[in-house]
Amino acid sequence: MERFKVLVVDDEDDFRETIVKRLKGRNLDATGVASGEEALKTMAQENFDVVVLDVRMPGMDGIEALKEMKKRWPLTEVIMLTGHASVESGIQGMQLGAFDYVMKPVPLDELLDKMRQAYERKKIQEGKF
Amino acid sequence: MPSTRPSGSERWWLPWLAPTLTLAAGLIFWGAGEQFLAGAAVGLSALGFYGVHSLRARLAQAEAARQLMDERLLTTQKLAAIGELAAGISHEINNPLAIIRQEAEWLEELLKGARFQDQAQLLEFRESLQEIILAVERAREVTGKVLELARERQPVIQKLDLNRLLEDMARLVEHEARKKNIVIERRFALDLPPVESDGPLLRQAVLNLLTNAYQAIEDRGTITLTSSWAGPDHVKIAIRDTGVGIPPEMLDKIFLPFFTTKPPGTGTGLGLAITQTIIHRLGGTLSVASQPKHGTTFTIVLPLSWEPQEQRA
Ligand SMILES: Nc1ncnc2c1ncn2[C@@H]1O[C@H](COP(=O)(O)OP(=O)(O)O)[C@@H](O)[C@H]1O
Ligand SMILES: [Mg+2]
Repeated sequence: MERFKVLVVDDEDDFRETIVKRLKGRNLDATGVASGEEALKTMAQENFDVVVLDVRMPGMDGIEALKEMKKRWPLTEVIMLTGHASVESGIQGMQLGAFDYVMKPVPLDELLDKMRQAYERKKIQEGKF
Repeated sequence: MPSTRPSGSERWWLPWLAPTLTLAAGLIFWGAGEQFLAGAAVGLSALGFYGVHSLRARLAQAEAARQLMDERLLTTQKLAAIGELAAGISHEINNPLAIIRQEAEWLEELLKGARFQDQAQLLEFRESLQEIILAVERAREVTGKVLELARERQPVIQKLDLNRLLEDMARLVEHEARKKNIVIERRFALDLPPVESDGPLLRQAVLNLLTNAYQAIEDRGTITLTSSWAGPDHVKIAIRDTGVGIPPEMLDKIFLPFFTTKPPGTGTGLGLAITQTIIHRLGGTLSVASQPKHGTTFTIVLPLSWEPQEQRA
């Protein structure tokens, strides 16, 4: 699969830095930011194919960030990550157009697989326009 | 030729061969309705009782089937009309809702610079504004769901690992289910091929059904999540719960938008309406079987490969 651009949004520094490093190791173009606000700023400057977004963050929470992302960049696919499962926010996330909703911890290979599928979906959608 | 017919129609073919008259009478006066047929039955009973008898039975059967179809068609059309109306209203309401929220937030801003003689008064002001914002959010959630229901989104078709998808959604619900001592049992067929479908849409549907299942169980119970083949080119997903069940007279209402038996805040009555719309969009079917006090099973049947549908029933 070709190289695609991923934005990882998570306020936990350890988690974010590790995952970005490992995604780079798998030949992905990965960037990490620590908040929803930062994510929106970064996305306004660069195009991303897939966003991995933590649900619970201080400041703008994941659901709010997701809303804004899908409004401004409807083709970018967003995978929601959550530490503690909340069914309600899961349903909300899926309804707002998230590609998937994943419980932490998630094995890297599984996450990578989901990212590839999300990227494939974006390519299919782009082909339609 | 008759010998190739299924055995159930034997009684139909027997008199066909002998008293042809019976059939002729039956056919000629088909349009004259049942009363005439009844008369003919008496008159010709010696010749072909069986023929007329089964003709009447068949007519009655056809009539019942037609009525059922009419009702279904009517329900579908009614639902479509209701959906359109609700979406129109939701759209109109969204704008004033956005303004209310904006203004409430602006008041919060202004409040920062305002001076009150009484500190308690300031607090009350703030709380009141928070309540307004919360209520707006709830209203927006409902309008959002209604709009989702009406949106004609074309599915994006990818090859999916169905069991993986089910497992992911089960895990999401499991945490909350455990608090109510609910066990989620998986029975996955391990020989299923990839399914051509829309992942995000299917996840939404399964999550809605799982949520209903665990809400139906008060305390202690089992949700059984099954995947299996359904014929050579379909797969089946079943979600069974040991919850309160659904009374028979309610079964045809549960798919209606806004039908809910749950307290406000817990239920909006849109879950099943959305789920059914999604499954139809994916070329599948959604059905329900329930036994009050014992539990309920929702079953999704999906085609293994997806073709765009010209028209939707
Ligand atoms: N698994 C179930 N067991 C019992 N009742 C159910 C189940 N699923 C749905 N229902 C009934 O159908 C109604 C409508 O369901 P739904 O459309 O999901 O809306 P909501 O869950 O918001 O009430 C529910 O309020 C409930 O009465
Ligand atoms: Mg529901």
